[in-house]
Amino acid sequence: MEFKELDPILHAPLRLAVISLLLSVKEAEFTFLKEKTNSSAGNLSVQITKLKEADYIEVTKQFKNNYPLTICKITPKGIHAFEDYVKALQSYMILPKPD
Amino acid sequence: MEKELSPHDSLRIIHTMIEKTKQNISSQSHYFLLWGWGAFIGFTGQYILKVYFKYPKHYYIWWISAVCLIINSFYAVNYSKKKKVKTYIEENMGNLWTGLSICFVVITIIFSKTGWQNCYPFFMMLYGTGTFISGKILRFSPLVIGGIGSFMLAAISVWFNNDSQMLFAAAAMLFSYIIPGHLLQMNYKTTD
Repeated sequence: MEFKELDPILHAPLRLAVISLLLSVKEAEFTFLKEKTNSSAGNLSVQITKLKEADYIEVTKQFKNNYPLTICKITPKGIHAFEDYVKALQSYMILPKPD
Repeated sequence: MEKELSPHDSLRIIHTMIEKTKQNISSQSHYFLLWGWGAFIGFTGQYILKVYFKYPKHYYIWWISAVCLIINSFYAVNYSKKKKVKTYIEENMGNLWTGLSICFVVITIIFSKTGWQNCYPFFMMLYGTGTFISGKILRFSPLVIGGIGSFMLAAISVWFNNDSQMLFAAAAMLFSYIIPGHLLQMNYKTTD
């Protein structure tokens, strides 16, 4: 039985949570991700930067009612990486068939 | 230091996060209930004013649409201020109902010019189209069933007179907006 290698960018709880959230929505504010992942702003910021550096997400800065606003959106590369990650996970979950 | 993840942990995280984005659907129930009750009051009110009170300006009841529009705008502005996420579902729903709203305005202009005979089956078809497609987008079968119900009521109502068709339209609002709207609200209340 061959095990596929798991993408180290996605194989971390908070980064995986962020990508999973972004996969289901068009775009999300930083505060939404913080709320749903129950993480600290500092840690989330670090993980978002890592995902952005890998081109898995796009991050845009805006202003809303004079307050800075960070908006995150998954990229096609991020979607592809997530699909590969799930396929790789399946190779760990499926038991080999007896001969 | 990042925690070591097992494949089961990974799947649990993915599942939990995807589930957490589902609760946004509940916000849609306000619109179904607002317009459902508004139009239900409009149709039944018009019927009572016309048939029982013989009031010639029975159509004045439709000023209720303006009240619904104001409440709708209040909801929409308030929601857009609060919302921290844009979903594909909301975007699709927005496009669908914008298109249908334009359709309602155009069909109202057409009927005001050509006469209001048999206008109700057409309105019921538009109501049904909105709930049928919304139900498919939200994957919420009571809306789909309600939409089909509206289509059926529209088809049957052509065998009845114009006044009775108002009651068919009221029934269409009940089955395709009010009941599914309350079910939608109840279904997702616990996840808010």
